[in-house]
Amino acid sequence: MPAKLPQHDFAALIHRAGLELPSAEIEELYAAWENIEPMLDRIRGRATRPREAEPATIFQPEDLA
Amino acid sequence: MTFPTIADASRDLAARKVSPVELAQSCLDRIAALDGTLNAFIKVTPDRAMADARAAEQRQMSGTARGKLDGIPIGHKDIYGTAGIATTAHSKLLQDWVPDTDATTVRLLHEAGTVMLGKLATHEFAFGGPSFDLPWPPARNPWDPDHFTSGSSSGTGAAVAAGLILGGTGSDTGGSIRGPAALCGIVGIKPTYGLCSRAGILPLAFSLDHAGPLAWTVEDCAMLLQAMAGHDPQDPASVDRAVPNYTAGLGDGVRGVRVGIVRNWHERDRPVSSATQAGIDRAAAVWRDAGAIVSDVELPSLLDFQAANFVILTAEAYSLHEPWMRERFHDYGERLRSRMVFGGLFAASDYIQAQRFRRELCAATSEASRDVDILLTAGAPAEAPRIDNVPKFDGLQQPGFTAPMNQTGWPAMGVPAGFGEGGLPVGVQICAKPFGEALLFRAAQVLEHAMGERSKRPALAC
Repeated sequence: MPAKLPQHDFAALIHRAGLELPSAEIEELYAAWENIEPMLDRIRGRATRPREAEPATIFQPEDLA
Repeated sequence: MTFPTIADASRDLAARKVSPVELAQSCLDRIAALDGTLNAFIKVTPDRAMADARAAEQRQMSGTARGKLDGIPIGHKDIYGTAGIATTAHSKLLQDWVPDTDATTVRLLHEAGTVMLGKLATHEFAFGGPSFDLPWPPARNPWDPDHFTSGSSSGTGAAVAAGLILGGTGSDTGGSIRGPAALCGIVGIKPTYGLCSRAGILPLAFSLDHAGPLAWTVEDCAMLLQAMAGHDPQDPASVDRAVPNYTAGLGDGVRGVRVGIVRNWHERDRPVSSATQAGIDRAAAVWRDAGAIVSDVELPSLLDFQAANFVILTAEAYSLHEPWMRERFHDYGERLRSRMVFGGLFAASDYIQAQRFRRELCAATSEASRDVDILLTAGAPAEAPRIDNVPKFDGLQQPGFTAPMNQTGWPAMGVPAGFGEGGLPVGVQICAKPFGEALLFRAAQVLEHAMGERSKRPALAC
């Protein structure tokens, strides 16, 4: 399935990350992006995720003492 | 002594049938003969090896040997910091970097008396490979050098399988110990998160990185882990708890142990080759015959774990590499930069959502595994592919079997399970609850004795 994000928007993401890449390299990465969008849908698209669901990185104060 | 295991060599050293110097020299001779084909080493350190071996010999002669690993030749994956010896991460960016101190696990293994033969190939920064555009070539599979070792602990996998070292270190952020174990036909364990210090090892992704050993046998892995495990204040993830004796229970079998087969992973989410499936089926049968209680469990989809792992891994990795990614992008190999770049494209909320998702996946895994002690699935989908036929974005196109236990932090082992149609090894993966390493070793050894074909070595190395 083609990526939902238009290629020029993908190129903008690359630019925002501070990377100046040849257009051929951006094109190849954009082709791979179509495999990544479904992953983002999986992690974002949890309508049933409770508001209070915590991330796995939560810590206890003594951990950082 | 062509292919001694660590346990065999340890007994022979104690009985003075062989000296540490002879053992080290035999490994150096094998490296000289075979590593031109295998590329398992970034750097061989013969002077250091002989100095270590002579010191071990002195201890042996004076009755002050340090234990079962004293005089055992090993190698370190080249992301493990070694004082005074270059630690390159197999990358142009670090090819001249020489750390001042040893990684904690390097120090522990040195204090146990091991003999360091050198630094071993890895995928670039433990992530990008196999690559042909780096200062060193990729390691090749001793069972057929035209084939892939898996990675990223590629040099350790190749060197152990070919008998160049008796054991070695690896790291595992998404399967980098268990993958080479499967494709190289050896044993490797990713211990519980926090059991082995990560201090002094070049990080890939902080919340997923694990250090652990690879070796030819289960017992050898247990011996190495015994030396590597333990609390380290230098690693904030390090767990402060007593380390059990990992070899004490070997031979006790699996009677009464509850095994859960994760069929939805290797039969539905990513169906494995017939040889790998046969290995899993045989492992279940062996355990059942040995008195284990075998049932099925259904865990969250591999696709769910893949999504969380990819976002977390690349985002954490990009945060480490960001200055170089911006300024020296093309000094990285093509494979590494093309994979890691995505970590710089995600929103901060994507990373947090991935960590929230991770907690959900861990809870679901724990709940589904409530009534079992061990999980059984594939270590890799099939035999090793040709090294020139590994897709650049392999990890994006299909989910792997190993990343879930990097999410949970549970211990997981790669154990040989026979050979495929092409004559290359296949492996199973077994997992336990946190700090269940001793149980894993016991259960793995039952499989090893029944189906491991441990007397068969790569023809190239014989």
